[in-house]
Amino acid sequence: MLFHQHENTVGRKYNDGEVIIRQGEEADTMFVILKGAVEVVAYAEDDPAGELTVLAVLEQDEVFGEMSCFDKLPRSASVRARGKARVLTVDSKGFLQRIQADPALAMRIFKKLSERIRTLNAEIVKLKAKTKDA
Amino acid sequence: MKLTNNSRVAIVGGGPAGSLTAFAILDLAERLGISLSLDLYEPRAFYRTGPPGCNMCGGIISESLVELLATEGIHLPSNVIIDTIDTYILHTNSGSVSIRSHLDEMRIACIYRGGGPKGAENQRPLPWDSFDWFLLQQALKKGAVHIPHRVRDLSWDADQRPQVYFDGHNPRTYDLLVGAVGLHRPSLELFENMGFGYRPPKTTKAFVAEFYYGHQQVQKLLGNAMNVFLLDIPGLKFAALTPKGDYATFIILGDGINKALINKVLRSPQLQGCFPLGWEIPVQPCQCHPQIHFGDATNYYSDRVVMVGDCAVSRLYKDGIGAAYRMAKACANTVVTNGTSRADFKRFYQPTCTTMSRDNRLGHMLFTLDTVFRAVRPMREAMLAAIRSEQNKDHSKRPLSGALWDTFTGSGSYWEIVQRSMRPDVLFRLFGHAIKSLF
Repeated sequence: MLFHQHENTVGRKYNDGEVIIRQGEEADTMFVILKGAVEVVAYAEDDPAGELTVLAVLEQDEVFGEMSCFDKLPRSASVRARGKARVLTVDSKGFLQRIQADPALAMRIFKKLSERIRTLNAEIVKLKAKTKDA
Repeated sequence: MKLTNNSRVAIVGGGPAGSLTAFAILDLAERLGISLSLDLYEPRAFYRTGPPGCNMCGGIISESLVELLATEGIHLPSNVIIDTIDTYILHTNSGSVSIRSHLDEMRIACIYRGGGPKGAENQRPLPWDSFDWFLLQQALKKGAVHIPHRVRDLSWDADQRPQVYFDGHNPRTYDLLVGAVGLHRPSLELFENMGFGYRPPKTTKAFVAEFYYGHQQVQKLLGNAMNVFLLDIPGLKFAALTPKGDYATFIILGDGINKALINKVLRSPQLQGCFPLGWEIPVQPCQCHPQIHFGDATNYYSDRVVMVGDCAVSRLYKDGIGAAYRMAKACANTVVTNGTSRADFKRFYQPTCTTMSRDNRLGHMLFTLDTVFRAVRPMREAMLAAIRSEQNKDHSKRPLSGALWDTFTGSGSYWEIVQRSMRPDVLFRLFGHAIKSLF
């Protein structure tokens, strides 16, 4: 093997459909997508055997799993690779300690969370409108 | 003294401390709607191979820094990461033990600060990029202006604003001057001569060499492991052999490193086991004796001037780039959200530096303790036995392995390492293993 044929990168490679985090699991890590995309899927809390709903597709540079780091609750959704993806695990304890010293570090995550809330708001409005029409 | 729209900032030195400070200042200013002009003075072309492009360093990016950069949105591309590490192999005079990352992924990156070892230019185009050059480009993308000249002098104007002199140009006046000159002696003298009381840090010498094995041999002998040598050789703190593409990077840290000490380490059976069979140490490999940070600078800030990175404070024997990142962020938060006066730096910047300094004192004590461990056979055998017995356990039940992992990876502070390794149950187990090794 020659060096220039060798791909070096940090993180872990996941194949298409491979589960990265599972809904309901206790967790102390979050993740950054270094390459590729992942999809966030969930089942209704009262129907774990039911159909999975795709909540979002996240791409390179996006962070996921951060909610459990902040609220210390089990994972609210599962995340699986969409195609091949490379993902880096971030230790939440170390990350939260860094935020204490450098609050600006959390700005990027807050921005992403705001974007997600906006998307969810738009979805709720659409759903309400549909319910009204029905 | 506040930075406002159109304020001018100069950073002298475009290594990791300078580039990360530029990036952090411009990023925060952009978020707060402040438009700054930032000049980054760096004469070196980091993409050049050998000494002209090199910042003389072992080139390891700790897992905590990999994580922080990723969460900041700075992803190290695969052509900057030469190799990755998920395992440390600890070699002592009584045997070796392997410590794997508890997460099943590559957590540590091996990089070249410059364009690569002397002689690598024969491989043009180079299959990798310089880490320092990559970071500099990130700062330029944020809006910094690269001035590829050596700074010849620094002074103050009539309003006590810093001035920068460089070849063939009139002096430029700034609202803030950041020194990120590493341990480059002539540049440190420029800041000393500004008269604000700055005194450079204490240094000690290290040794770094790049050994060419070829990629296949490097993979076969080192794989994704950094080999750390804690040998009972007087003067040696530790030696390490790291995989880096076609090369293995050899590093020695210690007191009074000289040719005899280097040869003694290289000829040790533990090192020889990591060299290809029949391989001879090259007569003239790409090698250097870089100065490394050993004690903090004093008075490293004043009104409108601040020093960042090695030229001020760093972490003892590890994670110098991680230390530069922390200081860059603290500096940016201070100057963008608070101000650039001496009082601002004392209140908002110094605590980050002081935390590192205090931790280094603990680090000195740990390294002294380590010298005792490796010199006394029952103690070093107890340490190896304790680590081996932890390897099949859950991560939370591997305190000693975790402490050593943090020591070598640079991820944890020395305080965290002490907390893990000085637990009564760990000491009790060590004592038990030490007694066993006596009989």
